Amino acid sequence: MITTEEIKALARLAKLQFDDARCEEFSKEFEEIVAFAGEINSSVVGGTSEIREIGGREIALSDLRADEVEPSLSAEKITSNVEAENGCFTVRRVVK
Amino acid sequence: MKYELVSGFETHVELATATKIFCGCTTAFGGSPNTHCCPVCTGQPGALPVLNRRVVEFGIRAGLALNCKINTVTHLDRKNYCYPDLPKAYQISQYDKPLCEHGWVELESGKRIGITRIHIEEDAGKLVHERGVTYIDYNRGGVPLIEIVSEPDISSPEEAREYVEKLQLIMRYIGVSDCKMQEGSMRCDVNISLRVHGSDELGTRTEIKNMNSLSFIERAMEYEYSRQAEILDAGKKVEQCTMRFDEHTGETYVMRTKEDAQDYRYFPEPDILTVVIPESKVKAISDSLPELPLAKLRRYITELGVNEHNARLMYRYAKVCRFFEEAIAEGASAKHCSNLITGAVFSALATEEDKEQFSVSLSSKEFAKLVRLIDDGKINFTLAQMTLSRMLADGGNVDDYLTAADLAGVDEGELERLCAEAVANNPRAVADFKAGKEKAISALYGYIKRATQGKADIKKADEIIKKLIN
Repeated sequence: MITTEEIKALARLAKLQFDDARCEEFSKEFEEIVAFAGEINSSVVGGTSEIREIGGREIALSDLRADEVEPSLSAEKITSNVEAENGCFTVRRVVK
Repeated sequence: MKYELVSGFETHVELATATKIFCGCTTAFGGSPNTHCCPVCTGQPGALPVLNRRVVEFGIRAGLALNCKINTVTHLDRKNYCYPDLPKAYQISQYDKPLCEHGWVELESGKRIGITRIHIEEDAGKLVHERGVTYIDYNRGGVPLIEIVSEPDISSPEEAREYVEKLQLIMRYIGVSDCKMQEGSMRCDVNISLRVHGSDELGTRTEIKNMNSLSFIERAMEYEYSRQAEILDAGKKVEQCTMRFDEHTGETYVMRTKEDAQDYRYFPEPDILTVVIPESKVKAISDSLPELPLAKLRRYITELGVNEHNARLMYRYAKVCRFFEEAIAEGASAKHCSNLITGAVFSALATEEDKEQFSVSLSSKEFAKLVRLIDDGKINFTLAQMTLSRMLADGGNVDDYLTAADLAGVDEGELERLCAEAVANNPRAVADFKAGKEKAISALYGYIKRATQGKADIKKADEIIKKLIN
């Protein structure tokens, strides 16, 4: 059972705010999601470490990316969809 | 003191790779804001990370240099937290299978500081807070880091300084990081607790975040020791919390308490495959490690006979050591090489940075040639030092500066004449020397050096002068 307290804790970590009625609702929805995850888990013997192995999810060190510089994007492009000033992303001040 | 200090360090070291950990953007320091960025390191939807091979190799290198066991099957995990320095709202790090574990760093006393683990992860962006706005630059976001976690084996601010200095030197020697604390490429989180001497029970710890200077670390630890001791003396309990050090007031202050501690909800990173490292690769990296700082220091003193003062001045700089060792390999004596390097050469290299870079217009071969002239008694140390200073300033070879007359030294008859002149012209120094002030004789040495432009053999002159005076 996911309690409303747990929902509130998660909301706080995600910087979201909900009223009590919404938290109740989420508590039920979470139950369903966790049950579904449980169903997936039960179809794989062993759990997380086995899920990791599905489909040969391993890579040899030699196949990793070589340390070679590729061009970056311009600051204008990177900040084109956000609030920005002088090339910087801007948000409401996060410290007091 | 009633209480024993118990401290462990989490040290972040930026790796000296050309590109970031999960994308091809440059790791160069500085640059205009957000010009070293791409969809991956700014967390755009759909962008996928691709692990940089050199990050893993440098991590292994660091692990081996710190005597760790390397986990040849290793994976990455997501550490979730919501803060604007992290555009994905999670940091890709390592949780239950770090790259390296169970190592140690040896202090000069022989004491070992245990290394719990070393893991690889990405750095966060830089935030600047001004008025009501926070400005974000993601150039540093995604720069590769290793986090070196120590055991709580450090028992004083002095040990902490030595531990951090040793780490810094080792990382520089093995070429994985420049570890510049002032630029943030090495930063420490310091955990501190107190316990009554003789007790086995650990006290409640506090953590001081993001220390980027050795003297701040020492000051913060001293302050935190007194603060906790005061609480314990009053019969109260230390509260577990995360703190910051205010360098202006020299005090620590609480950032967050245990109640609002972060809950990172780690889980395996689904976008990056488990990395498998062949044992042969680990061995190849191990074989390529250079001699490490403490071993080098000890060898210079015990095997090469360099005096401890000079050995300590030199061993801090990998390039200086290479130059010194090359000169010795050319047959020059370790004693005169080290004296000249820590004398004339270091005078020409004013800053730490200069010594670190060691870009001098002098080959180790020419340097060795000059030193061999002293070794063979053809010139004296003073002339060598003067010649060296000129070579460092203007470049060129030994032969460009030393003439046949220089190499001939000063004729014995001429030296005797000059000594007599020195004695006659410095009656006060002679009287002082006779009265027991041994140092007074240096005025006469100075006279001879000036008269011969440093060519005279001062040892010989000393014998003649003393004979004349007595």
